[in-house]
Amino acid sequence: MLQWFPVVGNQSIRLEVPGVLGHRDLVLRTVSAACKLLAIEVGIKRPAAGKFSAHVVSAVGEAFNNIALHGYRGREPDIIRLDLTLTEGAFRVDIQDFGNSFDPDSAQTPDLDALPESGLGVFIIRSFMDEVTYTPGSPNTLSLVKHIEVGARAVEGRGRKTSARLR
Amino acid sequence: MIFSRETENGATVLRIEGELDAVSVSDLRPVLDEIVSAAAATVIVDLTALRLIDSSGVGAIVSLYKRVRTKGGTVTVRGVREQPLAIFKLLRLDRVLMG
Repeated sequence: MLQWFPVVGNQSIRLEVPGVLGHRDLVLRTVSAACKLLAIEVGIKRPAAGKFSAHVVSAVGEAFNNIALHGYRGREPDIIRLDLTLTEGAFRVDIQDFGNSFDPDSAQTPDLDALPESGLGVFIIRSFMDEVTYTPGSPNTLSLVKHIEVGARAVEGRGRKTSARLR
Repeated sequence: MIFSRETENGATVLRIEGELDAVSVSDLRPVLDEIVSAAAATVIVDLTALRLIDSSGVGAIVSLYKRVRTKGGTVTVRGVREQPLAIFKLLRLDRVLMG
């Protein structure tokens, strides 16, 4: 059973997999399940919850592709580590790898009118997430944040909200 | 990913189920090449049962669209929903491929 694990006041899920495409599906199913937990936790209803999950899963999938296909190109693949954290008002995904560094800022914005067939990964990540930061090193760390706009009233005893709106 | 190809009222219908992504797209490319080589006038890509798509999968469908159009044919996509629909809308492919 997938469940949040309390980490210094937040709730977090850690996942480590080999940095190869064959583990992509496992990662994305975990992220999708975490989004469902999040929606229950903060009281998000469909279809907003589905949209939120679609955005996060899409972004993490593109990030995973970049690491497996480019970060570990030409070397023995190491792990990819994901920390999924539900904080007050946001869902954060930190993705770490030990491969070649990549600066997302170097990716050009695609010309969508030209119907590009490649070069869309970073655009999808930036479009679907509210904050994207990258710290090169060993490990490289890509941090993705999706904000949750939360209603003001909290449910007594749970500390969570009765209403929330996802961006 | 599972795919099937059949003829429906004279159109070539390609149904793709499951995930179309960097893992599975290489399995689909030979079928796309066959459709282009057959010079089908009307191609319908049915994504009703597609659960997930990534930029690699989008690239394959856009490539099919471009190549069929170059030969004078048309490609439309139907049945897109949930995560694939979010991607199609972001990349404005809903306007081009979904009529």
